[in-house]
Amino acid sequence: MKKEIINLTVNGTLHEISVEPQVTLNEVLREQLDLTGTKLSCGAGECGACTVLIDGKPELSCCTLAMTANGKDILTIEGLARDGELHPLQKAFVECGAIQCGFCTPGMLLTSKALLDENPDPTREEVKSYLSGNLCRCTGYVKIVDAVLAAATEMNKGGK
Amino acid sequence: MSQKLTCVGKRITQKDVLLKATGEARYVPDVRLPGMLWGKVLHSPYPHAKIKKIDKSKAEKLPGVAAVITVEDAPKILWARSFRDMPMAPSGALQRADEYILADKARYVGDPVAAIAAVDEKTAEEALELIEVDYEQLPFVLDPFEAIKPGAPLVHDYAKNNMAVHLTPPPFLVKGDVEKGFAESDVVVEEKFFVSKQVACQMETQSCVASVDSSGKITCYSPCQLAHPFRRELGKMFNVPVGKINVINPFVGGSFGCRLSCHNEPICVLLSMKTHKPVKLVYSKEEDFISIDTRTPHYYTVKMGFKKDGTLNAMNLDVTTWAGGYLSRAQLAGGITLIWGLGHYRCPNMNGSCDVIYTNTTVAGAGRGFGNPAIMWGVEEVVDMAAEKLGMNPVELRLKNTKQTGEMANMGLPIESSYIDDCIREGARAIGWDEKRGKNKGGNGTLKRGVGMATMTHCSGAWPLLIEHSNAFIKFNEDGTADLTVNPGSPGTHIWGTLSQIAAEGLGIPVEDIYIVTGETDKTMFDLGSHASRSTYVTGNAVLEAARLAKKQLLERAGKILSESPDDLDVRDRQIYVKSNPEKKTSVANVCSQAIYNLKGDSMNISGKSSWCSHYNSIPTAAYFAEVEVDTETGEVKILNFVTAVDCGKAINPMTVEGQCEGGVQQGVGYGLTEDYVINKNTGAVESNNFTSYKMPGTMDMPETTKTIIIDKPDPKGPFGAKGVGEPGLVGVAPAIGNAIHDAVGVWMKDLPATPEKILKALMEKSPQQD
Repeated sequence: MKKEIINLTVNGTLHEISVEPQVTLNEVLREQLDLTGTKLSCGAGECGACTVLIDGKPELSCCTLAMTANGKDILTIEGLARDGELHPLQKAFVECGAIQCGFCTPGMLLTSKALLDENPDPTREEVKSYLSGNLCRCTGYVKIVDAVLAAATEMNKGGK
Repeated sequence: MSQKLTCVGKRITQKDVLLKATGEARYVPDVRLPGMLWGKVLHSPYPHAKIKKIDKSKAEKLPGVAAVITVEDAPKILWARSFRDMPMAPSGALQRADEYILADKARYVGDPVAAIAAVDEKTAEEALELIEVDYEQLPFVLDPFEAIKPGAPLVHDYAKNNMAVHLTPPPFLVKGDVEKGFAESDVVVEEKFFVSKQVACQMETQSCVASVDSSGKITCYSPCQLAHPFRRELGKMFNVPVGKINVINPFVGGSFGCRLSCHNEPICVLLSMKTHKPVKLVYSKEEDFISIDTRTPHYYTVKMGFKKDGTLNAMNLDVTTWAGGYLSRAQLAGGITLIWGLGHYRCPNMNGSCDVIYTNTTVAGAGRGFGNPAIMWGVEEVVDMAAEKLGMNPVELRLKNTKQTGEMANMGLPIESSYIDDCIREGARAIGWDEKRGKNKGGNGTLKRGVGMATMTHCSGAWPLLIEHSNAFIKFNEDGTADLTVNPGSPGTHIWGTLSQIAAEGLGIPVEDIYIVTGETDKTMFDLGSHASRSTYVTGNAVLEAARLAKKQLLERAGKILSESPDDLDVRDRQIYVKSNPEKKTSVANVCSQAIYNLKGDSMNISGKSSWCSHYNSIPTAAYFAEVEVDTETGEVKILNFVTAVDCGKAINPMTVEGQCEGGVQQGVGYGLTEDYVINKNTGAVESNNFTSYKMPGTMDMPETTKTIIIDKPDPKGPFGAKGVGEPGLVGVAPAIGNAIHDAVGVWMKDLPATPEKILKALMEKSPQQD
């Protein structure tokens, strides 16, 4: 199939990439850019493990054709920490015991970031509802929700 | 342990967790080796078929294809995905080698029949389409009761009537005279149950990267959590010395039992042997659903007889375990249901049996809890049924029959410590048992509330049924930090953190000074691996002993420097000090550095090594309490509150223990209410082959509140008093929910999962006039 050149800004860096039309954003990130922090699990948009932020909105990279992301701004887990400083969500996930096997973690973190960007002071129910598309088999979600709330508190305190 | 603990008992995050938060943690699918090819597997679309001929010529001609393999290319040797010749107690439940790397005959929909290695994933996928398999479809059998009828299609020629094995309980669980015991009971309850084929649903799909170099050295990146036994099996399979094989576990994206077996690894190794290049083979989630080990489904009958005062007098379990097309661990997971079920309560008369039967279905093997969640579903429902007949409070009925410290445990050894009564009492208090039980049935309109409970005893390793052997090696570095070499596997249970805390406490240095060396069979000594809630207990004891030996060397060396007897020294805050005169001291770093960089001729790397074999088995116990709201119009169950009270000895890390229990609740909610493995009766195909049709609970399906109570009383044999806790989190969750459903709406759910349809049907049968 015919390849086309697309431009993706990933974690602040512009990449010019040649892709075939059927290639997903997940494949581009993992196979071409070696950003393997973005996971692939169900491959069908059912589990949320592959979530990245496209122009700030959580999207399933396994179901997103790379071409449709042309010209857009993409944040993957590798871009969440800035200048070596962990994002408050990352800190909270680590400290609260919200990470076990860790395979759902990148997707959980990015979905949570989108939530806190939209709603800096969510209730427990709002967190649960926003994360309802992200599956985890290890934690029972309890400490994940705890961590998102802890990060929100921390960020509101810090005025970030 | 007179000394105050400084590290054990603390909520400390395992070091490598940080890498999982930044995306740096690399799992098997993230491994990329130079020149690597992509593998793909062709699975049988038929549940039972003779493979008459495979024409691979078209696939081989596709540009980019490096190899196409079938059973003809595989070693002519049967192997066992659950690993042969594990030193087992003579229980009759032996591992059986019953499959080839690629199928000689398709025995279930999903059975791997051919595989491809190609330059990229897309080419490999295209090539799959070009393999022409001439199948001769055979009559098939999906149901175990059909499978044992005369004339049923045979899954394996060796197994007459598809009976893989008939098991009886171990001698210590055959007691008294069961028939007489029932005759002399005042209340006898007998019920049939079914538990379904739960899928592990680990988020990282089954994957392997294998590389066989020109010297014949095999490097295999695998999520298998029994790395050393797996290496041995690979050696036998390919007739390669084990020293030439390195099994590497990078980060592993969950197990829950399925990683006890290896799955596509031998295929991947064979592809690499054929192509002389590294090969990556990553299953899709659908391939996971149809072709890696699920939990064993069981049909079973529980019969329990009680005296008027609630004393359990007789018990019998008859279990039919539904194996798939190959045995994997179904014979063990089946047989051990008898141990969990019969071994839980004190009872003078007991017996049981278990048939394990081949069918043309996806292979069933280990699942977290290994048969315990399955059997305790029925046992704990029957206890509640009996309580109703006896007019007793289910809490009191259980307290009357729980085994205590010193009595014989489920595996035939004395109970080292049991605080199950504390679990029951504290859990009941936390859920509000006395206020809620049987008191909120009116509810509002169609919403009815109820509370229910269940209990369990589990194990810390499988001794004396299975060898429990682990090794640990600790060496001090010249700056006073220490490397801890162990290889228990880590599917996400934070065992490396737990073991680091044990090492730190044992050595007397801060946990941040401990660095784990793990994950490769080349670098580590033997460890059986993660299973049976063993690693904290067995590997933990190995670590503690290695720490004791390393600390002994450290103090001997320090004694020379300080001109003191080593017996008069101890370690605290990175300093070695004289106990009677703490001002006289030297740093750990100084002692270690002087030992390594030493011109006097007595250099040494201060270290300790331990080979540990468990000859006891401390049982963790737990009680589970659920408060549910059942909608009698829709059959839907909402879990309001859930409490797990767990006796896992001393909690090395309470945060980790909570994590195991909270995760167990999610899996138990799925097992009890939503996760249904559906096989099409006409085609044998798995219909629940994705997360849309197979409903694993998400955030909104979880209880509104989840509480873990850790009893935290030390066990005499575990390291710092710890017992296992990995599996218990799940075991009693579903029966507690089931019993709460009965408290709410008065129906007993006997088939798992208790879906809204089944609940509505049960409600209808109970009160048909309401419809």
